Amino acid sequence: MTVPETTPQEPTPDIVYRPRGRVPGTVAGAHRGRDAGGLGTFRDQVPFLRMPDARRIDVRATLRDPFEGTYVRRFESRTALEVWALVDLSASMRFSGEADRMALVSAFCGCLAASATRIGDAFGLIGCDAAVREDVFLPASRRRSIAGEVVSRLADAACTGDRADGMGQAARRLVGRPKIVFLVSDFRWPEAFLARTFASLSRHDLVPVVLADSAEEDGLPDWGLMELDDLEGAGRRVVFMRPSLRRRWIAREAERAETLRRIASTYGRPPFRLAGRFDPDAISRHLLAQ
Amino acid sequence: MRLMADFPWVLWLLPLALLPLAASSQRVTPLSSIAASPVDGLSRLIGWGLRLAGILAIGGLVVALSGPYRQGETITRTGIGAQVSILVDRSGSMNETFAGRQPSGAEESKAAASRRLLGEFVGSRAHDQFAVSAFSTAPMLVVPMTDRHEAVRAAIAAIDRPGLDYTNVARGLGMALSQFGTGAANVSRALLIVSDGAAVIDPRVQGTLRAEFARIRPNLYWLFLRTKGSPSISDKPSGEDTPQAAPERHLDLFFKSLGTPYRAFEAEGAEAVADAIGQIERLERDPIPYIEQRPRRDLAGWAYGLSLLGLILLVAGKLAEADLGRNRGRSQTSRTGVPTTPQRRLAA
Repeated sequence: MTVPETTPQEPTPDIVYRPRGRVPGTVAGAHRGRDAGGLGTFRDQVPFLRMPDARRIDVRATLRDPFEGTYVRRFESRTALEVWALVDLSASMRFSGEADRMALVSAFCGCLAASATRIGDAFGLIGCDAAVREDVFLPASRRRSIAGEVVSRLADAACTGDRADGMGQAARRLVGRPKIVFLVSDFRWPEAFLARTFASLSRHDLVPVVLADSAEEDGLPDWGLMELDDLEGAGRRVVFMRPSLRRRWIAREAERAETLRRIASTYGRPPFRLAGRFDPDAISRHLLAQ
Repeated sequence: MRLMADFPWVLWLLPLALLPLAASSQRVTPLSSIAASPVDGLSRLIGWGLRLAGILAIGGLVVALSGPYRQGETITRTGIGAQVSILVDRSGSMNETFAGRQPSGAEESKAAASRRLLGEFVGSRAHDQFAVSAFSTAPMLVVPMTDRHEAVRAAIAAIDRPGLDYTNVARGLGMALSQFGTGAANVSRALLIVSDGAAVIDPRVQGTLRAEFARIRPNLYWLFLRTKGSPSISDKPSGEDTPQAAPERHLDLFFKSLGTPYRAFEAEGAEAVADAIGQIERLERDPIPYIEQRPRRDLAGWAYGLSLLGLILLVAGKLAEADLGRNRGRSQTSRTGVPTTPQRRLAA
């Protein structure tokens, strides 16, 4: 598929992400930790009795205190976290319009895995259709080779399911400390299911990645007959395209996107629209803008 | 109406016509979710129209290949008319004029006059049935009971051929009666005798004739073409009143004694004959069942036509096909396709 994207000859820029708030955890990493430690950037001063670390006594603060208390400097610890990609593998992800949807997913997840492991974060992958797909499940790991593995797993994954109910079960695998979860799907889900899935993942830092395709929106023809075939087996339908229908169609899609944005913003971050071409910088900009 | 086929086994292929319900001739555009497209009545209508066109095309071809036809048949209908059996005298005296001479110049023989007038009578109503018999010494069957007026007119056109010999009315009557056949009893039947004289009916034959008349009960019309100077039907002869002396009068008496409706017309000229025939035409107006022949008709052309209609619709649908992303795809490759490469290099 798009393995060349991650080959050393043409390295892609990393996806730069920043967790919201401070991350709990003890593993040293790249992100601001919740715990205060001895190293890192200065955080605050606390009385000596709260953190009896004589090496970090703040002499100026101690002398300045009229009540003659002793103060200790605290520093922010840098913590690693886990990054998970939760990939919808239902049949609708097989769509190939302007770009092949699974190729985009594979490029994105590979790049994300490389970016995460490069800064010491662990990366895990869960694929779901009607259930969690064990062949596309990779537990979180910090080894650098996981990026290639992610790409090959996703390349071999067959998208056949007609539902994405596995998302609920996937949430149960993401227990423990909050993680960054990239929810990768085209989100062609019923609204109730959408809300349920987002709610079940709301304790994590949730980044929805919407796979869209301009062929399904602006690329619609003005005139003509199309026989549409639902990739998830919901049947066929002949559609007589004309400008008025095209306008209605695009308006519906916009409405759907708005619904998704509303629900996603309630539980996490606004969705990132991955369409046409995979651009890591665009994702970084989106993630850092929050 | 019965539909048949030359090769009925081909019709076993007809279930193939249901194929368009399962498969479509249109190019299929895969879409991640069909729910994205708005529900549209016109589109649904066109979809079903195309499916129907497919069914029509395949079904029409299969039916056409089986060689369908409508079987020829005879239909019985009811019209206004009568069964008329015409009995024409072909004795030698019919060749003479009403004046009793050989026709010369503008004069018309009795046979020619009756031919002209009867010919008009035959064509005037569509559903009349006619039989034509002639008699002189022996009866001749010219045309059996038929509604083919062409044939009847041709038969009547032939009655002015020179006649011969004498008048043997009894056997002629028997044949004319036998033309009615055993049809429905409520049909109006008329027996029209055209003669210029009469003959003695053998008393032995009289009984048989009476029985026949009683069975068939036709309306009897006698068109008596009287030669000028010859005795009338009602004239009593001056001498002995025997059938031999006045055969016309006694034939008239015989007819009257039959008990069937009977009218005699004494015509002494062509106009009188026309009058008489006009009267007969007015009297005989009853419903009559008539038979219509419908020939076998080939229906393959219709079937081919229907399938052609379906195929034209399918081709139109095929020509109207559109692709997802074609609208934008072309413009995008020209717009962003070129700059992507330098951007990538920059990023690298």
